[in-house]
Amino acid sequence: MANLIKNIEINPLKTSPSLGAAVFFLGLKNAVVLMHGAVGCASFDKVTLTKHFRENIPIVTTALNESGAILGGSNFLISGIKNVYEKMKPDFIGVVSSGLTETSGEDIAGFIKDFKDRLDIPFANLIYAGTPDYKGGFEEGYIAAMLSLLTETLKNETGKSFKNQKPDKIKRQTSVNVFCPSSFTPQDFLELREALDYFGLKPIIIPDLGLSLDGHLDKRGYLQTTPDGLGVKDLLDIYNGEFNLIIGLSLKVTVKNIEELTGLRTYYFPNICGLKNSDKFFNLLSKTTGKKIPEKYKRQRSQLMDAYLDAHFYFSGKEIALALGIDLLDSFSSVYSEIGANLKLGISTKIIDDIKYRFINLCEGDLDMLNTCGNVDMIVSNSNAKFYAESLGIPLLKAGFPIIDEVGHNFKHYILYRGAVNLAVESANLLNKE
Amino acid sequence: MRLAAKEEYFDEPTCEHNGVAKEKKACKTATPGSSTGGCALDGAYIVLSPIKDALNIVHAPINCLGNSYNQRTSKAISGKEYYMYGFTTAMNENDLIFGSEDKLKHGITYVYNRFKPQGIFVYNTCVPALTGEDIEGVSKELTAKFKIPIVPVFSQGFSGNKNLGNKIAGDALFTHIIGKKEPVIDLLGDFNINLIGEYNIKGELFLIKKALKTIGINVLSTITGDSTIEEIMYSHKSELNVVICSKALVYLARKMKEKFGIPYIEESFFGMTSTNRAVIDIVNSIGNMKLIRKAKDYIKIMTKNTEEKIYGYKKFLTGRKVLLFTGGVKSWSLISALNDLGLRVIATGVKKSTDEDKLRIKEFDENGNIIMLDNGNPVNLIKIAKENEADIILAGGRNQYTAIKSLIPFLDVNQERLEPYTAYEGIEFLAKRIYSEIKNPLFKLLKESI
Repeated sequence: MANLIKNIEINPLKTSPSLGAAVFFLGLKNAVVLMHGAVGCASFDKVTLTKHFRENIPIVTTALNESGAILGGSNFLISGIKNVYEKMKPDFIGVVSSGLTETSGEDIAGFIKDFKDRLDIPFANLIYAGTPDYKGGFEEGYIAAMLSLLTETLKNETGKSFKNQKPDKIKRQTSVNVFCPSSFTPQDFLELREALDYFGLKPIIIPDLGLSLDGHLDKRGYLQTTPDGLGVKDLLDIYNGEFNLIIGLSLKVTVKNIEELTGLRTYYFPNICGLKNSDKFFNLLSKTTGKKIPEKYKRQRSQLMDAYLDAHFYFSGKEIALALGIDLLDSFSSVYSEIGANLKLGISTKIIDDIKYRFINLCEGDLDMLNTCGNVDMIVSNSNAKFYAESLGIPLLKAGFPIIDEVGHNFKHYILYRGAVNLAVESANLLNKE
Repeated sequence: MRLAAKEEYFDEPTCEHNGVAKEKKACKTATPGSSTGGCALDGAYIVLSPIKDALNIVHAPINCLGNSYNQRTSKAISGKEYYMYGFTTAMNENDLIFGSEDKLKHGITYVYNRFKPQGIFVYNTCVPALTGEDIEGVSKELTAKFKIPIVPVFSQGFSGNKNLGNKIAGDALFTHIIGKKEPVIDLLGDFNINLIGEYNIKGELFLIKKALKTIGINVLSTITGDSTIEEIMYSHKSELNVVICSKALVYLARKMKEKFGIPYIEESFFGMTSTNRAVIDIVNSIGNMKLIRKAKDYIKIMTKNTEEKIYGYKKFLTGRKVLLFTGGVKSWSLISALNDLGLRVIATGVKKSTDEDKLRIKEFDENGNIIMLDNGNPVNLIKIAKENEADIILAGGRNQYTAIKSLIPFLDVNQERLEPYTAYEGIEFLAKRIYSEIKNPLFKLLKESI
């Protein structure tokens, strides 16, 4: 790979696992993320997330200094946890580690367990995700936080918080546990929720970034913690789940784990974008609930087929380069493949063979590799790709993370039939721009 | 390997915190569990990255650069394509175990060959500082090989905050760049000065330079907005350093005074009154009578022109109330600009201000009513704004959503600001922005609808 030769990332596509874990925790209701590291670890992430979501982002730091870095930072961690609880009274404190605290080899999980064991007062749920910044990327951190939350909730070994709360076994509405990839926009989450509602399923979305970060204004005004999201009570409903729904190529590795932890039947979809994948998704819902696919979605399905026809002319003879995280790369390339687009280059932070066939060239790397794609007609990537789009004079469809120079992507969605319409027409219009 | 920040950084003869017990030299500590500003790396990167023919390599795992780059708004004329690029060695587990000095060397060699920059800054960060990588050695070796300055920047985040990072960057420039070259004679004007701590956000430097040029003052070097490595190398040839809105880079000015005998003054170009004062202070420091006369004439004309241009806005804004929450020097320098517009500052943030800054605030506080806000907690901010019926909050981006979610008009006056607010043109932009924001009917609509 070119990266091995140059030995340096130029305009990285990759972000860190600590950021991924932080985003996961932001999908919990009344939550705060506590980043265990130097002040910069929290500050950099907070700045980017605030610009990306255009929302207040509750990330705080343990503010490790020289002595903490060298002699051990447990004091910083514990006083950080206490201060956050004092000041903000959150339901969840998501503790995330960093390259700094992991390099010094601290037993952070141990500190937290000790702290919990000594608690005899009601306290926030402390969830710890070990996210050394030199190992893996955004998706790995997101998954680490996900599995950590599930383990805490379901195993009940360490978590005092759930000790005295027996899960509610009385069934009201059939609930389903839904695990979505970190690439979903807040609107994607909301669309998925709506689709499940149509089938009479109560979705427990883990985490629910649709409720927390979609951007909504209400009487509460400014809040110090996440305004909404997956709540403490919702967690108990995981027991009541009828089945698990796992979406996302990056989440494939969690399927077995989640199945074992929950003891529930688990269905997995690499993505739910485009005609075929949406069909599979709706067919499953119809089959498991015994309900017919709602008219609304049948209509959307036929609209998608029509939109594909309208849009496909603009794709013919054109070439596209995509630089996206693995989930979005998979989702978007599914739609583009259906419409017959030529995918000249795919860049991601890691390569999964399952999707190789859709691309002329698929590689692992940084945004700088866009320089190697020659004359494509459209680039699909995040805001940082504008260096290349501008210098090469190629239109850029902004997607992924981060998007910091335009508003509204919180409300865009690319999943299911309507999402595919959005992607097909947005792309066609951009390709048609001379 | 340099793990701890130099003691010298905390020895600031001109700072009133100087000489207090070590724990209390605590411009460098933060409370665990709070949301604070950036780290030393952040501060160093802010200072050095606007140099338009140098590139910046962050030697770190992916988070230090990957999570947050390409977000500065420093402008440059004919900057090289790479100057705003993000470069990182993206250290992985193997690099931690086996060391990554070779990786760093290869990385530097690759970017040198491909981009041919005039200088490379290599930032040390927490992880390589802990594992003890010799980035100083690597830099030295490759400086000799490529014959361009390859500068190690010891900006590991655990050493301290953004402010400290500014100093570290200043030190790196002082040690490796400044004084390394003489300017060709064409570049020198009759009166040459440097601007220190001006990053040309949204083109603010251009407005300052324009004013100074009209009077006949040549800005020889800017540290570092729209600058080149060469320009900073010969900055020692100026006769005056003007430190702009930056306590941290007074450190650099002081070092330059010690070594090259260049005097320095601290000025602000926010608002008409401040700009006038800065211009007068500069020409007085230079001490040329002809220049002083010219400056006075110029100020007279510009004041009249500007007052005419802002008249309409001022009429609307007079008596309206502003809550100002921004760092250090801007806690007073902006008050002056707001007073120019007839606005009343009801409170200003002093969390990062020195006693000297606070004295300056009092100078502008005619009625002695300005609340000094020590507590940057967003909840407190909103409370003060509501209690005092502030018409607008002026602060940095991190408080944007605090304000607008509470349906209080807001303007970003930190690095994300939308337009240049310096010098005579700047006050017009500022007036227009505040006017449009306060006048916007949206806030009323939403208050009724919520």
